[in-house]
Amino acid sequence: MAVLSDLIADLIGELGSDSVRSEPLDRRLFSKDAGVTRGEVVAITFPRSAEEVAAVVGIAGAHRMPVVVRGAGTGLAGGAVPSEAAVLIVTTRMTGVEVDAANRMAWVEPGVINLDLSRLTSPLGLHFAPDPSSQAACTIGGNVANNSGGPHCLAEGTTVSHVLAVEFVDAEGDVFMAGGPAPDPIGLDVRGVMVGSEGTLGVVTRALVKLTPNPPAVRTMLMAFGDIADAAATVSGVIAAGVVPAALEMMDRPLIRAVENFLHAGLPVDAAAVLLAEVAGHPEGVAAEADLVVAMARKHGATEVRVAQDEAEREVLWKARKSAFGAIAQIAPDYYLHDTVVPRTRLVEAVTEIYAIAKRHDLPVLNTIHAGDGNLHPKFAFDGSIPGVRERVKQAAEEVVALSIRLGGVLSGEHGIGLEKRDLMHLVFSAVDLDAQARLRDAFDRDRRFNPGTLLPAGSRCFDFGRQPPAGVWV
Amino acid sequence: LTSLRSTVARLFGESADPVEGAPAADYVLAPRTVEESARILDFASEHGLAVLVWGGGTHQGLGNPLEPDLLLLTSRMDRIVDWQPDDLTVVVEPGVPVATLEARLDERSQTAVLPERPGAATVGGVVAAGVSGWRRYRYGSTRERVLEVLVATGDGRVVRGGAQVVKNVTGYDFPRLITGSLGSLGLIGRLCLKLWPKGEAAATVRVNDPREAVDIAYRPLAVLETATGCFAYLAGTEREVAAQGAALGGRVQEGLLWPEHPIGDVVVSVRVPPASTIEAVRRLGEPVSFVAAHGVGEVTAAFGPVQPTALEALRTWAESMGGAMVMLAAPDGFALDPWGVPPQTLDLQRRVKAGFDPAGVMAPGRLPGGL
Repeated sequence: MAVLSDLIADLIGELGSDSVRSEPLDRRLFSKDAGVTRGEVVAITFPRSAEEVAAVVGIAGAHRMPVVVRGAGTGLAGGAVPSEAAVLIVTTRMTGVEVDAANRMAWVEPGVINLDLSRLTSPLGLHFAPDPSSQAACTIGGNVANNSGGPHCLAEGTTVSHVLAVEFVDAEGDVFMAGGPAPDPIGLDVRGVMVGSEGTLGVVTRALVKLTPNPPAVRTMLMAFGDIADAAATVSGVIAAGVVPAALEMMDRPLIRAVENFLHAGLPVDAAAVLLAEVAGHPEGVAAEADLVVAMARKHGATEVRVAQDEAEREVLWKARKSAFGAIAQIAPDYYLHDTVVPRTRLVEAVTEIYAIAKRHDLPVLNTIHAGDGNLHPKFAFDGSIPGVRERVKQAAEEVVALSIRLGGVLSGEHGIGLEKRDLMHLVFSAVDLDAQARLRDAFDRDRRFNPGTLLPAGSRCFDFGRQPPAGVWV
Repeated sequence: LTSLRSTVARLFGESADPVEGAPAADYVLAPRTVEESARILDFASEHGLAVLVWGGGTHQGLGNPLEPDLLLLTSRMDRIVDWQPDDLTVVVEPGVPVATLEARLDERSQTAVLPERPGAATVGGVVAAGVSGWRRYRYGSTRERVLEVLVATGDGRVVRGGAQVVKNVTGYDFPRLITGSLGSLGLIGRLCLKLWPKGEAAATVRVNDPREAVDIAYRPLAVLETATGCFAYLAGTEREVAAQGAALGGRVQEGLLWPEHPIGDVVVSVRVPPASTIEAVRRLGEPVSFVAAHGVGEVTAAFGPVQPTALEALRTWAESMGGAMVMLAAPDGFALDPWGVPPQTLDLQRRVKAGFDPAGVMAPGRLPGGL
């Protein structure tokens, strides 16, 4: 292990001993994210600046060791889990924020927690729109890496719609800026491909994010249905009627019951499904849109409609939605949370089939669905200590993927590909498509120093058309 | 050349008619499919023919001038392939005129939020040029709505990126990369756009202070300033539009009365942080006409005969603010770079382009820094 001790000595020499860890316990703690995959970490670094990040990249490169970046570790797809022994860059000490209220923007370092940013800008009447369920813990850097969503990205778009520029360290340890505070930066949209690239193209050390004005009026309502198809028809009906709510979430009966069991919020436990809808904007517009949503629900047989009368009630309704994960613990010690997308008009088919898959594999399934944008999150609950159960969960998960693709959907809506879905990429992309993605990755990081083995399956770069670039092109 | 000409004719049919306003080219072809486009581009790469893709010709003034050997027209790829009103998505071929698509979508009171005064612009052209309409203040730029692209690359592969769903993190974001790439990576053969419902009512309100309008109005479609004054553009329910109009306090006219695009010898797009829009207007000097998008930071201005040096100070200032001044139109030989200082990631962008277009035949030199 002399080689490793040299690496660690070099890292400590550059960052100081309080910024580098390599004890077995640390290495074990940082070897996985919130998902199910585990990898091997040789050293964990906590740089404080872009310069220190660049130094870590340089030292790791000199020791031929790949680099994996991690924020709070709330990711579910293994995007922060090394596929081979790697140096970890943890961004949690990079927490600077510089708000530019006049331009409704902020420069944010990657370790800033999502919710902290919105809390900080709240006195200015502004917030950061992406709001993943993990927003109290997840970092902006992680949001940028995964192009994170959340319930409110239905109307506001995912993280990429809110990132104007990124500063990043490339594989050579150089610092670059892509994008800027003005509209339509010139040249190719490097910023756009950096967002959602899961740490494979560079290390983002700062992002310029857009801040969204808080809506002057919000109305939140919960609607219960005796049949999940009625809830889905309401979703389609609302969108087709020309209303894009701020959020449009669906929960099914098993999930409602689990949540109600520990939240005691008076949720309709006999409903087959509930919709949680929120409309936001100008008070006059909000009133009309809320009326339309409620009328649509009643038209489709809603058995109960509850409109939050105040902020406290609104918070209870949202707590019900965002507690979904914790509630599952009552059913089984482990769960596997899925993330796929179907066109929003195919929701009923998708959910019906997911129930059939769960039944076939004898697994309890609970559904939270970002119904407004067709983003499915079935959760299979299981006890991992029972022999053979993990294989059944894996099989069920693969069937959910196959189903989503059959309905015209994709592998992931907001959690990312990571290690989890890397080998499923061929289900949605041809060999030529994957080769093009691999070429893009090579343009940024030819030697695969960043997060090797994640996102793209091995052998993606399988084509050689035999043409050489013209003289003068640096490749 | 004669033998190459006969080979092209044998493989891809006779040349299409020349297009008004387009630069002269040895070959003019109008493929019907993305696969046919890919075969042509494979041939172009093999023989080192410089290719310019041409839609409506509306935004061809952008970027360094080209002398193409081959002009590829998208005019025969002009189908609206699949419109899903309940899903708010539409799949189109690149040659569909913006006006045709928006008229069709209007039947269900939907919009792709493409430029409001498109002229002859095609959907493929607008996406390739990365141009947005004025409603971007409310709905974001065109790039935000490109969900899927099918591209014939410079070396003749057909590559798909994205999907026909509104939320997707499956693989690198090719739709965003292709948007605004000005035909330098390949030909966009098909694309899927996200749509928005139009409000039931719309109005244009005259305002005195654009900054105040940006502060008072909750998410107007746009706040525009021209030589004739400042206007806020509203959409939503009847009552919302009426209430917002009353709050703004100016004269309210029904409907959206969009300005004309500035036209002149020299047309520039000044891009600065949103709060600097007023300062950008002040620094224009004596334009023939201009449209300033407050809250966005984009000012388009047309000038009569003007010396390049007169615009240099404006560009230097815009760049010092983190923005740019881009030439949209200029007379031949106008001694001012169309883009200004190239981006810091130019070498990286070269490598990205080489991944799509290894022989460098797609719109060579058109992008900033001669990329």
